[in-house]
Amino acid sequence: MSWLGRVFARKRLEVDLDKELRFHFESQVADKVRSGIPESEARRLTRLEFGGIDQVKEDCRESRGTLWLESIGQNVRYGVRQLLKSPGFSLIAIISLALGIGANTAIFSLLNAILLRPLPVQNPGELLLFGNGEAHGATLSVPDGNWNLFSRAFFHDFRQKDNSFSGIAAVDSSQFDTKASIAGAAYETTRVDLVSGSYFPVLGVPAVLGRTIDEADDGPDGSGPVAVASYAWFQRHFGGDPSALGKIIRIQSHDYTLVGVARPGFQGVTVGQSTDLFIPLSMEKAFSRLGGNSVGEKFFQSLDLIGRLKPGVTPAQAGAETNLLFKQIMRSYLGPQPSQKHLDDLAHASVELTPGGRGISPLRFEFSLPLKILMAIVALVLLMACANIANMLLARGVARTREVAVRMALGASRRRIVFQLLTESTLLAFIGAVAGVALAWKVSAMLLHMATPGPDPVALNLSPDLPVLAFTLGVTGLTSILFGTLPAFRAAGLELTPVLKEGRGTSSASTRGVMARSLIVGQVALSVLLLAVAGLFVRSLIHLYDVDTGFDPHDVLLFTLDSSTANLPKGADEIRSVRLQEQIEQSVQTIPGVQSDSFAMVTFNNGGWSDQVLFQGIPRTPANGEDVTFNITGNGFFSAMGIPLVEGRTFTAQDLPNSPKVAVINQTMARRFFPNRSPIGQRFGIGETPDHPGEIEVIGVVKDAKYFALDEGSQMAAYFPCAQNPGFFGNFILRYAPGANRQEMISRVRRSIGEINANILVNNVSSLHEQVDRSIATQSLIAKLSSFFGILAVFLACIGIYGLLSYSVARRTAELGIRLALGAQSFALRWLILRECILLLLLGLAIGIPVALSSTRILKTLLYQLSPLDPVSIASAIAAVTCMTLVAAWIPARRATRIDPTQALRTE
Amino acid sequence: MKSENRFDLPQGTLDLLILRVVALGPIHGYAISQRIQQMSREALQVQQGSLYPALHRLEYKKLLTAQWQPSETGREAKFYDLTAKGRAQLKAETENWKRLTDVVGLILKETLEGIS
Repeated sequence: MSWLGRVFARKRLEVDLDKELRFHFESQVADKVRSGIPESEARRLTRLEFGGIDQVKEDCRESRGTLWLESIGQNVRYGVRQLLKSPGFSLIAIISLALGIGANTAIFSLLNAILLRPLPVQNPGELLLFGNGEAHGATLSVPDGNWNLFSRAFFHDFRQKDNSFSGIAAVDSSQFDTKASIAGAAYETTRVDLVSGSYFPVLGVPAVLGRTIDEADDGPDGSGPVAVASYAWFQRHFGGDPSALGKIIRIQSHDYTLVGVARPGFQGVTVGQSTDLFIPLSMEKAFSRLGGNSVGEKFFQSLDLIGRLKPGVTPAQAGAETNLLFKQIMRSYLGPQPSQKHLDDLAHASVELTPGGRGISPLRFEFSLPLKILMAIVALVLLMACANIANMLLARGVARTREVAVRMALGASRRRIVFQLLTESTLLAFIGAVAGVALAWKVSAMLLHMATPGPDPVALNLSPDLPVLAFTLGVTGLTSILFGTLPAFRAAGLELTPVLKEGRGTSSASTRGVMARSLIVGQVALSVLLLAVAGLFVRSLIHLYDVDTGFDPHDVLLFTLDSSTANLPKGADEIRSVRLQEQIEQSVQTIPGVQSDSFAMVTFNNGGWSDQVLFQGIPRTPANGEDVTFNITGNGFFSAMGIPLVEGRTFTAQDLPNSPKVAVINQTMARRFFPNRSPIGQRFGIGETPDHPGEIEVIGVVKDAKYFALDEGSQMAAYFPCAQNPGFFGNFILRYAPGANRQEMISRVRRSIGEINANILVNNVSSLHEQVDRSIATQSLIAKLSSFFGILAVFLACIGIYGLLSYSVARRTAELGIRLALGAQSFALRWLILRECILLLLLGLAIGIPVALSSTRILKTLLYQLSPLDPVSIASAIAAVTCMTLVAAWIPARRATRIDPTQALRTE
Repeated sequence: MKSENRFDLPQGTLDLLILRVVALGPIHGYAISQRIQQMSREALQVQQGSLYPALHRLEYKKLLTAQWQPSETGREAKFYDLTAKGRAQLKAETENWKRLTDVVGLILKETLEGIS
C-alpha cells in the first residue's frame, strides 16, 4: 500500500488492528477456559497479562511509519479545541503574533521592494551599472573621483570600443515629470524616460504590443519622434485597446507617435518611480529641461549606463577595461591643450561598476540603514512576543500536566505528546501569520507613504510576492519553534507517577519558574534596549524640529509651475521668461492678503546648484574653497521666505539684464572670505578658476539658512537675481498675512496665472512648512515607529511579569494564607512578591543597559546632534521600564495581601 | 509468576524469531506467540506489547505480507507470511546470529574458565 494510501486507509487499518488484537485476546481466553479456568477468571487474567491494549495499538501505529501524518489532522482538530477552550490566551497570543509577524512582514516588504527585488528584465544578474546610481540630473564638470553620469558622446564612443559588454543601455538620469496630451486632450502629468535605441534590446524587455524603441529611432537629433508606453499607462489611458497604436501624443510641445507598449510589469529601471512613456534620446533637444542649452555637448553628462556582460567576462575584467576606455575617451574630449587642472581631475576619475540587476534606486541610499534598523527592532519585538507566548504556554503546560499524564498513561508516546503540543503552537503561529500578512499588506503601503510624503507618490509594488511570503513562512516557522518547543518538551518530559499521585500539577513548577524567569529577564533587557533606541530617535527628531532654519516657514505657500507646454523661448529671447515671471509676481501681489511673492530656482530641500567661487584678491583657503550653494530668485524672495537682511540691500527693479551683475551672499560666505571686513562691493567669479573673474558684485548679506536639509552644517550660499540669469523657474512662493484664507488665496493665484498665460500649469501647491516637515519625514517615521515598538515591547514585558507573579501568588495562596494567619504584616507579604519582581528587573537592567550602550553606536549616522550614548534617552528608558515593571508587579502583590486566610487554607 | 525461567530478548532478536516462525507457513499473531513459547520450551513468552508492533514493523518493511483468513476456530484472523525479501532477510540474519553466538560463546567460555 502506498504511503499516501495508508493515510487514507487509516480507518480500515484502525479497524483491522482492533480486530487482530481482539482475536489474540479471545484466543488466549479460550485457551485458558480449555485448561479449566472459569471464563470470567480467564478474562480477568488475560486482561492482566495483556497490559494496556491502547498502548499496544499506539506502538503498532507508530511502527507503521505514518503516525505523524495520520495524527496531523487529529492534532489540528484537538489543537483548535484547546485554543477555543481558553479564548483569552488564544486571543492575546494571536494578537501579539499578528502584530509581531505583521510588523516583520511589513518592514521586509519595503526592504524587499527597495533593496532586494531584481528588475523584471532578462537575466538581471548580468547587468552592471556604471557608477552607483546615486547621481541624477546633469553635470558639465570634467570627471574627478567616482563618476556616475555620462554624456551621449561618451556612450557612443564607448560602445564602439568596448569588448566586455554584449550591449549597453542608456537612460537619462533625470526623472522627467512633464506634461503630455493624447490626441489633443488636456495635458496630464506624465513621467517620461529618454532612452537609447539599445535600451529595450539590452534589458531584454519585449513589446507586448507594437514594437519597442530601436536603434533606427535613436539616430541624428530629432530622428525618432516615437513613444513606447508602459503597460500600466497604456491600460489606464486606452484600456488595452490595440488600435491606440499610431495615435499622436503631444509631450510638452512636440508630437510623438505611439509605436508600442512594453511588457507588463516593466516600469523603467528606477526603483520607486514608474515611467509612463519612453522616448528616444535622439529627441533630447526637443525636450525642455533645466540647463537644456548645453544638450549635445561632449561634457553634458546626464546619462545612466547599464551594460550587459558578455558571457565569460568577469565584472573585474569589465571594470578594468571600462576605466581604461573612460580615461582615454574623456581625455580626447579635453582637446589638444588641456589645462593641468583638468588632467589632474581626470587622473583621479574612475568608474565603479556595480550590480545593475536591481535597478537604480535613489531610495536605496536613503532607506537602507533605517530599514535595516527597523527590521532589527521588529525582529526583537517578535522575539519578545515569542517569549511571552512561551511563558503563557509554560503556565498552561503546568495546568495541563494532568491531561498529559493521563494521555501518557493511556499509551501516548512522549513523541506524540510533543508533536501534539507543537501542532498547537504552530497552529497559533499560522493564525497569527495570516492576520499579520493581511495587516502588513496595508501597513507597508502606509509606511511608505509616511516616509515619502509629498505630491509625487513613490510607486512601489508592495503586494506580497514570493520572497515576502517565503520570508513570512520562515519567520512563522521559526516563531512557533521558538515559543513552542521549550514548553512542549517541558510538558512531555515530566515524571508520570508523582503527578498522578499529587492530583495537581506542581512538581514541575520550580523548573518552569527558572525558564519563565529567564524569559522575563530577557524581556526586560530587550525593553530597555528598544526604549533607549526609541528615545534616541525621538530626541534627535526634537533637535531637528528646534533647528533654526534661517527662514520663517509659517504662512508661506509654495506653487510648483510647469512651463514645458508653454513653448517659452530659449537662448537670446529667454529674457521673456523673466518678464512672464515678473508679470505673475506683480499680478499676485495685488491679491489682498499677499505680503510678498517671488519666483525662485529652489526653495528648501528641492534640489540645488553649487560650485566654487573666487573673490578678487582673496587667497584660496580650505574653508572658502568649499562649494557655494547658488539660487536664482525674484526680487521679493527674501521677504517672502522671511530671510532677514543683515547688511547692504537685496535685489531691486534696478538690477537689469544689462546692468552690472550682482549677488546677495549669506553670513557664512561673508565670514569665510572676509573675516574682518564688509564684503559689500567686493567682486567674485564662479568656478575654481573663474572664466569671468570678478564679474559679480556683492550687494548684500543675509542671514544663514538651511538649504537642502535641516541637519546640514553651515553652508556658503549666494543668490542671483532672475533678471540677470534668465530662465523660467518653476517654484513660486508667496507670504500671506497670518489668518488669511488659504483656499481662496490659492484659487485666486491660479486664476491670475491662468489669465497671464494659460499654458503655465500649476502642478502642485503646498506650504513651506509642509516642505520642511517632508524633509524630515524619514526621521519622523523612524521616531514614531521605534517609539511604537518600544512601548509595545515594554507592554509585552509587563504582561509577562504580571502573568508570572499572578501565577506565583495563585500557587502560593495556601502558603500566603498561613503566613497571614500566623500574623504576617501585609507589607511583608507584598514585599515577598515584589522582591521577586525587583530581582528580575535588576537582572534585566544589568543585561539590558550594557547591551543598549554597546549597540546604539550603529545609529550614529541617523542621529542629529546627539550622542548614541545620550544619557537622557538611556536614563528615561531605564526609568520607564522600572516604573512599568513595578506597576505590573503591584497588582498581584496587592492581591497577595488581600487573601482571606480561612479561604486560603481550605484551597488545595 | 514463573519469572525465573523467563528472560528478556536482546534487541532485534524478536524480529528474527518471528521471521523464523512465519517461515513455517502462514500463521496469525496469537499462534506466533504460542509457537515461540513452545519452541523455546516455555523459556520465552512474547508479550503482545512487543509482538504486534514488531509484526506491523516487519509488514511495513515488506518482510511480511498479511491476509485475513478464517482461523482454526472459524473466526477471521490476520495471517502473516514471508515475502521473498523476508526469506532473504531470515537467511542473512540467521547466519549473522550463528556467527555472533559462536564468537560470543568462545569469549564467554574463556572468561568462565578464567574465573573458575
